[in-house]
Amino acid sequence: MKKSTKERLKQNAPAVPILVYLILLVGIPLLLVVLLSFFSRDSLGNIVFELSFDNYKKMLDPVYLRVFFNSFILAILTGLISLIIGYPVAYFTAGLNRKSRSFLILLIMLPFWISSLLRTYGWTILLGKDGLINNALIFLRIIDKPLNLMYNFGTVLTGTVYMLIPYMIISIYNSVDKLDRSLLEASYDLGGSKLKTFFKITLPLTMPGIARGYTLVFIPALGLYYISDLLGGGNTMFLGNLINNMATRGRNKPLASAFAIGMILLVLLVLFIYSKVSKNSKESLL
Amino acid sequence: MKEQLLSLKKVNKFYDEAHILKDISLDIKDGEFITLLGPSGCGKTTLLRCIAGLESIESGDILLNGESIKDLAPNKRNVNTVFQNYALFPHLTVFDNIAYGPRIKKVTKEDEIKVKVDEMLELVKMEGYGDRMPHQLSGGQRQRIAIARALINNPDILLLDEPLGALDLKLRKYMQTELALLQKQTKTTFIYVTHDQEEALNMSDRIVIMNEGRILQVGSPRDVYNNSNSLFVADFIGDRNIKEVEVVERKEDFCSVKLGKSIIDIRTDRSMVKPNECDGKVYLAIHMDKMKISYDKVDNSLYGEITFVHYAGSQIRTEVDVDGEKVTVIEYQNDYDNYRIGDKVYISWEENGAILLPKEDIEKRGN
Repeated sequence: MKKSTKERLKQNAPAVPILVYLILLVGIPLLLVVLLSFFSRDSLGNIVFELSFDNYKKMLDPVYLRVFFNSFILAILTGLISLIIGYPVAYFTAGLNRKSRSFLILLIMLPFWISSLLRTYGWTILLGKDGLINNALIFLRIIDKPLNLMYNFGTVLTGTVYMLIPYMIISIYNSVDKLDRSLLEASYDLGGSKLKTFFKITLPLTMPGIARGYTLVFIPALGLYYISDLLGGGNTMFLGNLINNMATRGRNKPLASAFAIGMILLVLLVLFIYSKVSKNSKESLL
Repeated sequence: MKEQLLSLKKVNKFYDEAHILKDISLDIKDGEFITLLGPSGCGKTTLLRCIAGLESIESGDILLNGESIKDLAPNKRNVNTVFQNYALFPHLTVFDNIAYGPRIKKVTKEDEIKVKVDEMLELVKMEGYGDRMPHQLSGGQRQRIAIARALINNPDILLLDEPLGALDLKLRKYMQTELALLQKQTKTTFIYVTHDQEEALNMSDRIVIMNEGRILQVGSPRDVYNNSNSLFVADFIGDRNIKEVEVVERKEDFCSVKLGKSIIDIRTDRSMVKPNECDGKVYLAIHMDKMKISYDKVDNSLYGEITFVHYAGSQIRTEVDVDGEKVTVIEYQNDYDNYRIGDKVYISWEENGAILLPKEDIEKRGN
């Protein structure tokens, strides 16, 4: 039987607030950004309402392409390192008993209770010229003058990995936790060693968790700007900083909008790849 | 006589404090279809997992072809398991599932594997299903693939952990015949775990009855069915009337016992209670389907009043009150089939349907 319009309205009524929220706070602003990206500005920073593709053409300038490339590499490496560190952590955690498991998950989530900006400042205390690590190494006479640990690509990478790795761990943890242990036993039973079983059974079956974790880490890594500001000191330019600079100090909101759209397209590309990878999986993110 | 294929020697297994397997000793010959039968929690699955190497044992030894395998990892033992939920790899096709064992051991060339997989698919009647994914198969089909995946490795022993448990009744009966045939065809030793006595009686060469981590009786299906050696086995296998009776007289080959007001003679040659032990109170166990109801007086019979009649097509289940004791009789045919509640009747039985069992439990008797 077909439901009447009235009935359907009634059924979907709870969705109205979220719909209004999304339209007002996500949809319309995004539309404005898209519109803005086709305008330009005058020398005072006022917006000139003249449609053109100039902003997008500017994006193809090698200087700017370099920024896209930097961000892309940073996001890819952040994902990779989070995966390499996060997988064993998640695998180990999922194998523990209920009590130790909850405790470990709590520890993994704990940093989220503190402002991420504060935590990023924390790294400067650790890594700075007069920081904990340098002082300790000098005290132990391993080095005699402070190492340059701050303000380079590696520092930013350390920061983004640190900030985003919990997403990776939790995603993989969920996949490993769902893994049917009798499949591993079946593999041992059929002659598979632990190592072979890991690569032939565990890894393929936890791929959805890896893909989800990678996506959840990759996307923010592309746009996080305060980490590269604080830890990178502007020595390497990333997309987030660039957009931030253009929109604020540079007073060029149209150009910033165009770059923001460029970044969104890059994210969509990643999501597209993710949807292909996890096509057959029930635990898909999309 | 042929050497034992598998020997379990005083195997003990603990989970923390719980003593799961208690001094399990068992010899299995090559080519046998052995069933481990018992209620859930009796340790039968644990014993199977110990043989597979998926569980370690605390003491005792497991010998395969005369060599100890108790410290070998599961992938080093030439036994394979068909798991209860089949445990087919969901990301691999049927073909790749079956080829998993030979491929991972890297001893067979890919073109030989192809031939062997096809042979296996034919053996389990699943030709042409190689490209399917496990989730596209029905329960019975998954079952067959799980068996093929195990058998392709030419195991010394195939271990089957309640493989028919998840199938519906009709398919289960069909698969029982199939499995028994497959076992004869491949001449592989099967160790089969089930809690279903009918399955066990139907397929096995020998049945091992387990309870609370111990082996209670080992024997052919006929043997354990007719000559149960303990109260537990008598109660577990088949439908029996089990009554506590008083011994009034003992003779060379029979005991006179008193049930209610009737005194009846029970042959003791197949019973666990020998005439000289036949003392005081014992248990009388009579198969319900080896009893017969009669309106005329019969020698050596019980006399009582019919209290209920269940008509179930091929069989009639009649409940008779014998001096306050309820006795159930299952008949497939009788001249008098119009029993009425309240009728006074005599109950007789085939001599081999009745046994006497000692009162003390198996644990006190020390095996």
